[in-house]
Amino acid sequence: MKPANQIMKQVLRYGAVVTVAMMIGGASLGYAQESVSVRATLITGGLPLEDPNAAVWSSAPPAMFPMSPQVHWQNRIQEVTVKDVIVRALHDGNQMAVLLEYADPTQDPDDAAALEFMVGDKKAHFAHGQPMLQVEGGPVNIWFWKNKTDKAVDMSAKGFGTLKPQEHQDVKAKGVYANGTWKIVFSRNLSTAHAEEDVQITPGEFISIAFAVWDGRKDGSGDLVEKGSQKAISSWWYFRADAPPDYSGYMYAAIAAALALGFQFVLIRKLKKGQ
Amino acid sequence: MGALGKPIILMVAMYMFLKFVLPNIPGSAPLPSSLIALYLLLTGSGIVIFETLSKESKDAFWSPIQRFLTGEKMGGLQALRYGVLIFFPLLVGWQTYGSTAVSDMPPTESRTIHPAPPGEYTGLSNPVPKTPENIMQGKGFYAAYCSPCHGGNFDGKGPAARGFIPAPANFADPTTIAMLQESYLFWRIKKGGVGLPIEGAPWKSAMPRWEVELPDEWIWKIIMGEYDGAHQSPRTWE
Repeated sequence: MKPANQIMKQVLRYGAVVTVAMMIGGASLGYAQESVSVRATLITGGLPLEDPNAAVWSSAPPAMFPMSPQVHWQNRIQEVTVKDVIVRALHDGNQMAVLLEYADPTQDPDDAAALEFMVGDKKAHFAHGQPMLQVEGGPVNIWFWKNKTDKAVDMSAKGFGTLKPQEHQDVKAKGVYANGTWKIVFSRNLSTAHAEEDVQITPGEFISIAFAVWDGRKDGSGDLVEKGSQKAISSWWYFRADAPPDYSGYMYAAIAAALALGFQFVLIRKLKKGQ
Repeated sequence: MGALGKPIILMVAMYMFLKFVLPNIPGSAPLPSSLIALYLLLTGSGIVIFETLSKESKDAFWSPIQRFLTGEKMGGLQALRYGVLIFFPLLVGWQTYGSTAVSDMPPTESRTIHPAPPGEYTGLSNPVPKTPENIMQGKGFYAAYCSPCHGGNFDGKGPAARGFIPAPANFADPTTIAMLQESYLFWRIKKGGVGLPIEGAPWKSAMPRWEVELPDEWIWKIIMGEYDGAHQSPRTWE
């Protein structure tokens, strides 16, 4: 039989290996999903509501999402200009701003872009909240910007053919084109008085967001290639406004560590006294 | 090896088996770390029960642990003992922090990939005769309506596929149409993504509801063309 010292050495060695392996296994899961959401960074001071080129945008982590031509319903389109959008977001606790960015070789008057959100807890189809067999669907809240007016229209839909501007226009937008890239800032208050038609943004909570872009290029006969349902679209992704920092986790950790220390102390005392 | 050696080897071997061997057995998959922890806990409990069956084995099992905790006759290992006594509360604190901290992860989503079809779409057989002409026609319809997403090579990698989550099905993959009946495909093509039950997350699917655009006969021909083009056969119950 080996002395107790050697045995304990083995215990610790193997224990450490197992613990480290579990930490690595658990930690690596944390990085796998980060590109599936837009994170609106909490800042103090002014939001760049009208300025797509403001320096403060660099403090928001960019998220990139792939785009597809809209083939889900008629009229379809087989090929679109925009293959990806890059999205950043900022908020200050009252207002939020989303910067949508996409590469486009030409600056056309007819470019347009939109953000789409699920409203409330209801699941809605990404295609204008169309009804599904077992899910009623909709409403979706669509923030639509077009270059010609350089303004946003705050819209609602509950399926194809139901898209219309809301009575209450709460969204602002501003777009600029430079160096082969469109940058559009959409902004709104985090919450509005019309929760049944407007997405409500609660810091810390994930909501569903999707994107659409119309490149304003024209074909040989002078007709717009991308218009109406013929556009680049994305699937549903997540959006979350950062919650204010919460330090309660450190307090719970300190309490737990103190309890564990106390447990050790009592256990060793009892053992020393002889069971 | 003392009374503690074997249990330690057994625990480590169990962990290695669950983590590295089991996922590589054909038909298996990597185990979630919570399940591995549960299995290790069960193994540990079994060991403790076994080792404490008789008084002798119990003493042989516990006495080295007790000696380490109380620090009697420790010699050079005293520093290590203090290290463990400091490390353990810190580990507990760290774990607590990890489990109470607000997660940066989006909500997890479970989606049933092949939910059960409605009764009227089970057991239908393809009414279109399987002739070379019909297969060829089916492939033509496939090229026109399906290939933008599902790909000219039936691999789910069509030019329109990149933005869609879930990705369009890869028919060459043996876990898609090869394990389904023709009747199931008829349902999926006819009713599209919006026809999925709730567990299929219909709000995410870009699959069109082809019944509004294509006659049934074309759909049956497309099914034929798909199986032929992807070199798969429909599942049958014979």
